[in-house]
Amino acid sequence: MPNVTEGSVADAKNGVRLATRSDESDLRELTSLAVQGDRGAIESLLGQLRPMVVRYCRARLGRVSGQYHIADDVAQEVCIAVLSALPRYRDMGRPFASFVFGIASHKVADALRSSVRCAVPTQDLPDGPDDGPGPEETVVRYIEAEHARRLLSRLPDNQRELIILRVVSGLSAEETGNVLGMSPGAVRVAQHRALARLRAMAELESIA
Amino acid sequence: MNAVHPGRPVRRYGRGEQIDTLAEDLILGALSRREPLPVPGDPAVRLLAALIDDVDQRRSSVSMTPST
Repeated sequence: MPNVTEGSVADAKNGVRLATRSDESDLRELTSLAVQGDRGAIESLLGQLRPMVVRYCRARLGRVSGQYHIADDVAQEVCIAVLSALPRYRDMGRPFASFVFGIASHKVADALRSSVRCAVPTQDLPDGPDDGPGPEETVVRYIEAEHARRLLSRLPDNQRELIILRVVSGLSAEETGNVLGMSPGAVRVAQHRALARLRAMAELESIA
Repeated sequence: MNAVHPGRPVRRYGRGEQIDTLAEDLILGALSRREPLPVPGDPAVRLLAALIDDVDQRRSSVSMTPST
């Protein structure tokens, strides 16, 4: 079972492209092989889904003490739950992603209910220079992301879920619709409304 | 029959709104695929881009918690 760490999300860009561009029938075939216990298929399937799950959990749960440890732990739990449930999974015509995000949604809800500000292990201090963004850029990015998260939390549940799946997890309108039980057209209309609300809230806050 | 329940508002989408919806879908699709976008003027898109950027971050070495 691949481990979910912050570093493993890394090439999120590739992960997103891989997942969204996959031919649905290929994914169905892969899922079918994984359900039968094919190790290679299981690894490949999780490899495609994991980056999307990590992003989903990070977007929903945010940081604790500046770190994504809790969100990444929940993402790991989702992957373990998916793996455990695989032998019992039956293809009922809906994409496998809707099964995965159903589990993810419950795990996130559990985490939110039992959210306890626990101690967060810190990384060892690096010996060499850090190539990442500097403190100022990091803080600006952090503040903007927290602002986005705060405004998203004020959207109706279904609109928030839709925007996170569509934009953050990287699902297409069709895939998002499959997860949420909506047509692609309804997804586009709902995301238009969600964006309008976000825009209005952001503009109102900038005036205030 | 075209009757509408009086308590239910009639919602019509004009051509302008349809174009907005499609344009937004293209922008959100580009964001979701992590394609580079010019600096967005739309505050909603800018915020979502910031959230994506943060969520995709490889690692965070700076703690935001002030030391006590």
